[in-house]
Amino acid sequence: MSPAIDLNKVTKRFGKKVAVQELSLRVERGTSMALLGRNGAGKTTTLSMLLGVSSPTEGRLSVLGGKPTDAKVRDRLGAMMQEVSVIERLRVEETIELVRKYYDKPLPLRTLLDWSGLTPHAKLMTQGLSGGQKRRLSFALALAGDPELLFLDEPTVGMDIESRQRFWETIEQLKARGKTLILTTHHMDEAERIADRVVVIDEGILKADGTLDEIRRLNRVRTMTFTAGPDVTPERLRALIGGAETAWDGRRVRLTAADTDRLLRTLIRDGADISDIEISAGGLEQALQTIWSRERKGETA
Amino acid sequence: MNAYIRMWKAQSGAELLRTMRNRRFFMLGIVMPVMLYFVFVASVGDNVQIGGIDWKAYYLISMTAFGIIGSSLNSLGPRLSQERTQGWAKWLRTTPLPNSAYLFSKILAQAAIHVGIIVLMFAVGILVKHIHMPAHFWLESALWLLFGMIPFLALGTLLGTFDAPEVVTVLSTVLQMMLSLLGGLWTPTEQMPAWLVNVAHALPSYRFAEGAWNIMAGRAIPWETPAILLGYAAVFILLAVWRLSRKGARA
Repeated sequence: MSPAIDLNKVTKRFGKKVAVQELSLRVERGTSMALLGRNGAGKTTTLSMLLGVSSPTEGRLSVLGGKPTDAKVRDRLGAMMQEVSVIERLRVEETIELVRKYYDKPLPLRTLLDWSGLTPHAKLMTQGLSGGQKRRLSFALALAGDPELLFLDEPTVGMDIESRQRFWETIEQLKARGKTLILTTHHMDEAERIADRVVVIDEGILKADGTLDEIRRLNRVRTMTFTAGPDVTPERLRALIGGAETAWDGRRVRLTAADTDRLLRTLIRDGADISDIEISAGGLEQALQTIWSRERKGETA
Repeated sequence: MNAYIRMWKAQSGAELLRTMRNRRFFMLGIVMPVMLYFVFVASVGDNVQIGGIDWKAYYLISMTAFGIIGSSLNSLGPRLSQERTQGWAKWLRTTPLPNSAYLFSKILAQAAIHVGIIVLMFAVGILVKHIHMPAHFWLESALWLLFGMIPFLALGTLLGTFDAPEVVTVLSTVLQMMLSLLGGLWTPTEQMPAWLVNVAHALPSYRFAEGAWNIMAGRAIPWETPAILLGYAAVFILLAVWRLSRKGARA
């Protein structure tokens, strides 16, 4: 079976500016991938090419084994774009009904209203919706065709906590049903919640590609948290650990460093009164910062 | 093909519904032409003859043309501009809906609206102002007006290629008023100075109404009238396609 997505040395230029450079990527069906990067890294440009909204300047790409501009391929994919846009002077249910008609095997209207949390707002005119409600309508429209492959470009911007929670629960259900998910986000907790695989790009170039754990392991920095006894003063701690970054919250100390094991041994050897010690490897966000830091120093990821 | 027809029907129905819910369309496409018709016919008098036909029939054609121009420009232009700039048109390109179905559904819905405007205006003329004309005059005039709307739909599409929906909304209304005023829809060209008559004859708004005035007067339509309308339509369509292709190259 062909992969859900196959990019082969894809480059996209806007005049002299290179937005995506020789990007090669293969995403198998039924998996979920988070495409991460800073603003302007080339994430949305990559999605635009995958969605057939723009064409690569060089290279080849296929989506579900075909061209993304092919109506048969489009019938099997859904997209939630970064821009929130709905057409005016239609009710919520009328808009969803309209978009359902674009697809050969659409999901029932009631299911779409339920999954997007718009059942109580079905009769509202779209121009009267709040920003978060418009986002949810975009979600319903992206799911209208019961897509095999779902693109989510920063999907939860503007959603309240409850809507976000409901959104991710639905996404988890879709993942369990074997849908392929491609997500871009600046919320690392969202990527950690849903992605099997993480791809990091910067200035249009692939910087890291691996499972969530593999990317997390790129992280060099660990965080050690402990409660300091009365004899542990900031001055004494500084003298023991040198330049490691510390933050005090009452007697609770958070210490960030690459070599937390050595620092812990130093503190114990010195007889420092510390308790409730926790060491964490850090999450995706710290891993990304490690990647950016390597970039600044000119190291390869 | 079935899928295409299914999408096209759904899209056309939605466009029709959206236009019917547009207060601006009602004001500029229906209320204003009907009001102006009653005011100007009452002020000039029912029995005055202009261009070989009764004033009340002449002005009925003028105001029907005015309503169709207003509907074409004020519905199509701002809506296309808004859908493009706010990302809806871009999102639609990720769905199976073909671009042609998207555009043709808007044009079909607009044509259906224009049939409604013609029926309403002609009903006002027949039932309220008691205009008596052979049935085929009414039918031919209606068909002419449906043909003559093409350059205005093309102009609305061209306006829709501009990126500021608010500006397009204002520009559409200004263009409707200017084309109507200078094209002799508010004041007959017989009452205009010679230089202004030359301007009117060069405008699509005059040519649009001229065809129907001639049908109502039992005269043949000069060959240059449809030629000028089609020429304007071609220029507007080419400009719209050129502007959209430039924007597409930047996407």
